[in-house]
Amino acid sequence: MFPQQLINGLTLGSVYALVAVGYTMVYGIIQLINFAHGEIYMIGAYLAFTAIAVLHLPFPAALLLSMASCALLGVAIDFVAYRPLRKAPRLAALITAIGMSLFLQNIAQAIWGANTRPFPFEAIPKFFYASAFSLVQVGGATVATVGEIPTEVAARPDLTIVLQISWLQVVILTVSLLLMVGLHLIVHRTRIGTAMRACAQDQMMASLVGINVNRVIGFTFALGSALGAAAGVLVGVYYNAIFPTMGYRVGVVAFAAAVLGGIGNVVGAILGGLILGLAEALGAAYISSEYRYAIAYAIMILVIVFKPSGLMGSPAAERT
Amino acid sequence: MEARRRLVLAVACAMVLVGPLLLGGYPLRVAITIMLYMVLALGLNIIPGFCGLLDLGFVGFYGIGAYTAGLLILKLGFSFWLVLPLAALNGAIWGILLGAPTLRLTGDYFAIVTFGFSEIVVLVITNWVSLTRGPMGLPGIAPPSLFGHTFNGETPYYYTIFGLVVLTVILCRRLADSRLGRAFFAIREDEVAAAHCGIPIIQTKVIAFAISASLGAVGGAFFAAWFTFISPNMFKFWESVFILCMIVLGGMGSIPGTMLGATILILLQETLRPFGVLRYVIFGVLLVLMMRFRPAGLLAVERVRGEMRPLEHERPSQARRPKPGEDQEVPS
Amino acid sequence: MTSILEIEAVTKRFGGLTAVDAVSVTVPRGSIFGLIGPNGAGKTTLFNCITGMVQPNDGAIRLRDTDEPTELVGLKPEAITALSVARTFQTTRIFPNLSVLDNVRIGRHARTRATLVGAVLRTPGQRAEERRITEEALAHLAFVGIEAQADDLARSLPYGDQRRLEVARALATEPKLLLLDEPAAGMNPQETRDLMRLIERIRDSGITVLLIEHDMKVVMGVCEWIVVLDYGRKIAEGLPEAVRRDPQVIEAYLGRGAHA
Repeated sequence: MFPQQLINGLTLGSVYALVAVGYTMVYGIIQLINFAHGEIYMIGAYLAFTAIAVLHLPFPAALLLSMASCALLGVAIDFVAYRPLRKAPRLAALITAIGMSLFLQNIAQAIWGANTRPFPFEAIPKFFYASAFSLVQVGGATVATVGEIPTEVAARPDLTIVLQISWLQVVILTVSLLLMVGLHLIVHRTRIGTAMRACAQDQMMASLVGINVNRVIGFTFALGSALGAAAGVLVGVYYNAIFPTMGYRVGVVAFAAAVLGGIGNVVGAILGGLILGLAEALGAAYISSEYRYAIAYAIMILVIVFKPSGLMGSPAAERT
Repeated sequence: MEARRRLVLAVACAMVLVGPLLLGGYPLRVAITIMLYMVLALGLNIIPGFCGLLDLGFVGFYGIGAYTAGLLILKLGFSFWLVLPLAALNGAIWGILLGAPTLRLTGDYFAIVTFGFSEIVVLVITNWVSLTRGPMGLPGIAPPSLFGHTFNGETPYYYTIFGLVVLTVILCRRLADSRLGRAFFAIREDEVAAAHCGIPIIQTKVIAFAISASLGAVGGAFFAAWFTFISPNMFKFWESVFILCMIVLGGMGSIPGTMLGATILILLQETLRPFGVLRYVIFGVLLVLMMRFRPAGLLAVERVRGEMRPLEHERPSQARRPKPGEDQEVPS
Repeated sequence: MTSILEIEAVTKRFGGLTAVDAVSVTVPRGSIFGLIGPNGAGKTTLFNCITGMVQPNDGAIRLRDTDEPTELVGLKPEAITALSVARTFQTTRIFPNLSVLDNVRIGRHARTRATLVGAVLRTPGQRAEERRITEEALAHLAFVGIEAQADDLARSLPYGDQRRLEVARALATEPKLLLLDEPAAGMNPQETRDLMRLIERIRDSGITVLLIEHDMKVVMGVCEWIVVLDYGRKIAEGLPEAVRRDPQVIEAYLGRGAHA
C-alpha cells in the first residue's frame, strides 16, 4: 500500500505545488496573501468544464483556454482590487483579498450552482482512467506491467495490487512538471523574469532602473493564475468533481505549502506542495482519514510558530 | 454636551427595552441576531481594532463557546446562567493556549495561524462524533430558565442579549480608557516603542486575546441556548469574515462603529435573503470598496485612522528592503 | 565618581558586518555623556544593545543602580525599562494616532499596576492610580514645555514638539539613565538651543544622559565626556576639547589626509 500512497501523495502534491507557486510569487513581490488565489483555481476548473460542455472543445484546448482566461482574470483582479492599495497598509490589502475571494466564490455559485458537478464523461480522454503502470503480487512473484494488467493475471484470485498508476496520474505529474520547468525558464531566462526577480528584491530600485513595476506585478498575477487554473482543471478531472468551494481548502493547503517552503521562494513552494501532498495521503492512510485536512493546518501552524522562514527561506525574510 | 449624550443614550435604551412590546416574532429575531453580532463584533474588535492584529480565527472561539454551552446543558444538565461564565472561561483558556505561542508573530503570519486554528476547531467538532455527534450537530439544547420560568418565545432572549450587549459595551469602554487599554493601543501604534515604555508585549497581547476569545465564547453560549441547535458548519471561516466585515464597515477600533457595522450587515443579510448567494457577492464587493474608498470605516475614530501600519522589521544598516507604502528610513 | 553603566567588550555582528566591535565604555553617574562618530559607526546599535532591542553576540552591559550591578544583556526591552533605563529613537517613534497626553500616560506603564480587573470594575485604587498617572503625565509634558498640546493628536504636533514628546514619554518611565538618539536632528537653531537647556535640566534632576548626536554644537555644548566610535570600534575618548583635536577623530570624520 505504501508505494501507492506515495504516488497518490505526489499527484496531489504536484497540484498543491502549482497553486502554491502562485501564492509565493505574489507574496514575494507585493507581500500580499492573495486569498482569492484559491478561487482562481476553482474558476479555472469551471471554465474548462464550460469549454468542454458548452463549446465542446477537446480536453487540451479546454485546459489552455482556462489557463489563458484565468491569467486575464488574475491581472484584472490585481488591477481593480489590489493596485489601488499598493501604498495602503498591508491589512487593507489583505481584507480586500478576502473580499475578492468571497466575491468570486459566490459569483461562481450563482453562475454554475452550488452542486458538485462531474466533468462531461465523453470529453475526458478514455485512456486517462486506464492503468499506465502496475506492480502486482501473484503467487509469491511480483509482476510489473506497463499498461493494463493482463486479463489472465487480473483474474487470479491471489492477486494483490501493490501499486497502480493511472494515465491520469501520469498526465497530472507530467503537466505539472512541464509547467514548473516552463515557470523556471520564464523566471530565470527571460527579460520579464529578470524584472520579476528585481521587483521582488527591491521595487524602488527596480523602478529606478526603468522597470515598469505594475506591469511586472500584473505579469506575476497572470503567471500564477494560469498555473492555479491548470491545477484546478487537473484536480477537477482527477476527482471528477468540481464545486464552488473547492478552491477554499486547496487554497489554504497551498498557502501552507508556500509557508512551509519559505514564502517568496518558488522552489520552496514546489517542495512544500509535494511534502503536504505526501503528508495528506500518508496521514489519511495511516493516521486518520477524518483529520487528513487538519494535518496540513497543523504543519502550517507549527512551521509558522517555530520556523517562519520555512525550509528554504532566508532568515532575513523572517517576519516575526 | 455630556448631558445631551446621556439623554440620547437613555432614550435609545428605553426604545430598545420596549422593543418586544412593539415588534413581532420575526423583527424580534432579527433584533436578537443584531445584538448577538454586536457582542461578537465587539469581542473581535479588541484584536484588530485595539491591538492592530488581524484575527481570522474568531469564529473558533464562537464555536468553542457554543459547544461548551451545548454540551454542558445537554450532557450535564447545567443551568444556562452557570454555563455562560464557564463558556467565557473556556474561551479565555483556549485564547491563552493559542495566543501564548503565536502572538509574537506579526501581521499576516498571525492572521494565518488564527485561521488555521479555527479550521481545526471545526474539524474537531465535526469528527469527534462520540462527543459532538459530528455533522449531525447537537439538537434539543434546553432553553434557559430564570426564577423557575423557562424561556418561552423571543422576548426573554431579547432582554438577555440586550444585557450582554450592555455589559460588553461597558467592558470595552472601560478597557479602552485604562492602563491596559492604552497598552493595547501602544502595541497597535508601535510595538518597539511600546516595549520601551515598559509594556510586556506578549503578555499584554495574550490578555487582549483572552478577553476577545471569551467574548466570542459568550456569544456562542448565548447562540446555543437561543437556537437550541448547533452544528459544525455554523462556525466556518466565512463567519469570521462576516464579523470582520462588520468592524471594517463600522470603523475598526470604534465601539459605536462596530455596533453600527453589525446592525447594517445583519439588516443587509436579512433584506437580501431573497437574492441567495448574491448577497455574499455584495458583501465581497463591500469589503473591496470599503478598503478602497473608506478604509477607516463609517464611524472612524480619529485616533484609529492610519492604523494597520505596514509591517516594519528591524534590520542592520545595510540592505534594508523598502516595502510598498513604507516610509524609508536609514538607521545609522 | 561612581559609574551607572559599564559596557564591557560588547560586540554585535549582523551576518558578516561587525556593527559594534568589542566596545567598552563606562558612564559616570549624573553626567551628560556623548557618543559620536560618523554614520554607520555603530552608535545606534550600541544603544539597541543597551536597551534590549538587539542582543550583543559578546560582552557584558551592567547597570549600577543599586549596590549589586544588574546584567542587562539577555533582558527584554520592557524589563530594562523597568530597571530605569529609557531611550528615544533616531526617527521619532511616538504613538501617532493617540493624544499627546496618552503618549506620556503610556510611559507610566512600568511604574503603575492596575490590571484587567481594576480596569473593568473601576476600583477606587484604579481610579486613584489613573488620576496620578494623568497628573504625572501632565507634569512631564510641562517639564518639556508642551503641556498646552496635551489633548492634540501626537502626529499633529510640529516635528520639534514630537521630539520633546518622545523625551517626555521616556522621562515618564522614571529613568536613572536616559539614552537620547540624535535628539537635535532636524531642529532649527532655536529649537536646538532649547533642547540643550532641556538636556541640562534633565541631568540636573539627577538623571544620567547618554547622548548620540551629530550636531557638534550640541555635543561640545553639553557633553562632559565623549566617546568616539568608528566602524564599530572605540577610537577615542575624553573631554570635548581633547576629542575635537584628536587626529584620529578628525580623520574618521573627514577622511584620510584631511586637515582640520
